[in-house]
Amino acid sequence: MSERRIGVYICYCGGNISDFVEVEKVRDAIENEEGVKVAKTTMFACSDAAQQEMINDIHEHKLDGLVVASCSPTLHTFTFRGVAERAGLNPYQYVQVNVREQVSWAHTDLKEQATEKAIYMVKAGIAKVRLTQPLKKTRIDTVPRTLVIGAGISGLRAAIAHSDLGISAFVIEKSDRIGGWVSEFGKMYPHNRLGSDLITELSEEIKKRENIHIYTEAEILTKSGSVGDFDVKIKVKNEEISLNVGSIIVATGFVSYQPSEGEYAYGADGVLTLPDFKELIDNSKGEIIYQGKPVKNVTYIYCVGSRDSSGEKGHAYCSRYCCNAAIHASLVANDISSELNQFHIYRDIRTYGKYELLYREALQNGAIFIKFDEASPPRVEKSNGRFNVQVKDVLTFGEEIEIESDLVVLVTAMEPRENKAMNDVLKLPVSLDGFFKEIHPKLRPVETVIDGVLIAGTSQAPRNSAESVAMSLAATSKSASLLMKGYVELEPLIAMVNEDTCVWCGKCSEACPYSAIEKISSGEKEIAAINTAQCKGCGCCVPVCPENALAIKGYTDEQIRAMIDAMEVLL
Amino acid sequence: MTKVNPDFIKKVTTSEEFNATACINCGVCTAVCPMDVELLPRKLFRYALLGLEDKVLENTNVIYQCLLCKMCEENCTADVHIAENVRFLRSYISKEVFKL
Repeated sequence: MSERRIGVYICYCGGNISDFVEVEKVRDAIENEEGVKVAKTTMFACSDAAQQEMINDIHEHKLDGLVVASCSPTLHTFTFRGVAERAGLNPYQYVQVNVREQVSWAHTDLKEQATEKAIYMVKAGIAKVRLTQPLKKTRIDTVPRTLVIGAGISGLRAAIAHSDLGISAFVIEKSDRIGGWVSEFGKMYPHNRLGSDLITELSEEIKKRENIHIYTEAEILTKSGSVGDFDVKIKVKNEEISLNVGSIIVATGFVSYQPSEGEYAYGADGVLTLPDFKELIDNSKGEIIYQGKPVKNVTYIYCVGSRDSSGEKGHAYCSRYCCNAAIHASLVANDISSELNQFHIYRDIRTYGKYELLYREALQNGAIFIKFDEASPPRVEKSNGRFNVQVKDVLTFGEEIEIESDLVVLVTAMEPRENKAMNDVLKLPVSLDGFFKEIHPKLRPVETVIDGVLIAGTSQAPRNSAESVAMSLAATSKSASLLMKGYVELEPLIAMVNEDTCVWCGKCSEACPYSAIEKISSGEKEIAAINTAQCKGCGCCVPVCPENALAIKGYTDEQIRAMIDAMEVLL
Repeated sequence: MTKVNPDFIKKVTTSEEFNATACINCGVCTAVCPMDVELLPRKLFRYALLGLEDKVLENTNVIYQCLLCKMCEENCTADVHIAENVRFLRSYISKEVFKL
């Protein structure tokens, strides 16, 4: 006989469950299960009154296990763990059984069988609870310092924001100067301020602060430790430096798409990428001169490298910044010389939000917008030192027109920057398009699967500088919420090693996606050890062990077997 | 293949009277036109905006067929002064082609 004292609560969910599952019948079927001391039904298990009743029962009957059969654990695991904790019961001795999503909602046409399924699922839950052990969260003291990788506008802004909060920031930058792309830009949208001025302003701000350290010509070599307490080795020029930081912000930016030779006549003088054209107009006064000749007609071709995955180099995504940037560049060009004729050959104009005003302004200034169909892209031909751009205009139902142009500007995509050396160290997951992946765009933005390593700016996806800075501040607040509390608590549902049976073959270490298993000496032999801060409890190591020496706490083989056995009674 | 004439664009887009840049190509003007003209108003304006002077001149007859009844203008969702735009093109043709 089990000596456990278990409380079981089966929820009606106000009809969501009880309309299809006979809740009282489930209770009757399980109340005499081994170890069950309390078995009750409740209209809403999550209600304050029901929670209080559970707490009272736990005290009164000295319960040491809790089962709630209600909805998905995604919804209420933490609610009922909280109940257990408030009643002085270890929260990991609570098990949730999902009889709503997995039973009542799934079998609305089979009431009898639904009730039967609910019964054996609750029995399995009870079997699991019988074998639970009290577990404790791992607590790690955090270090109030951060490492920012990349000294572009996102990285610099994140460093200042950390400094504002009293957290020291070490910024490492691969190139020999700070500021990244923005430092090279003249007027930027929508405020028309010079990019170089913005960077100067940030760098002046940084000089005033003692808790920001910038290293140029620097890169990360190794990383160990875990969230809140990383040991990082960096190489600065020829010197190696060790840093101890609590979080890492990756703001490594993007590279600009380089068209292939001959793509829209690229390679010929007069066919420029958007960054090249920006540089030309940023250095122009009074009129725009290209290679000694005054420029009269400029034709922009949009979506070069974006929204087309057919070729070898193209990307399926929209690069997001470029419609705004190209139209803004054309407004700047128009300010320099209003005699200019400007033609925008586009697939769709995506000047979202307030940037629509830029588009309106360009229209009012007389810019001509010509829509082309993806299936028949424009052609660029060189003739007599100028270019003939031929395009089928969608809005006149396919009228073929030809524009004589002095300059052809290719509005090029943003591409992910290859950071192989860095990512060999950080091991961040990369999405199909090559940018770093955040855990969830709405629920957990800026976070990566590596706790304490956050991403910001265009390292995650194409976006403009305003959006990049917003993201770097989001990453800062996430970083600060980790570091300013002074400690982090980590889930204890992680791998454990049976030291008696482990013979260290290394297979588990190879299977671990988080580098959380290392070799240690134990007495006379070598065995595997789990880094409790790095292990996520994913379970990849368990099935590869030839000695069956690994298990995940809370999901041991013994528990799973007991759950299956509990269900077999009915099958 | 029709060549774009930037000078024509300048004349059209910088004039006070011609405001077809606001056109969103919805087609209401075409649907309500009582004259069943061969050329759709939105297409005519598009020719003008793109600087396709030859195309505009090819359609001189159509431009003069218009009754200037403003049915289209009343119903235009983008507040384009359609009748005024047609008058502008007529005046352009009168001056530049018929030398009146």
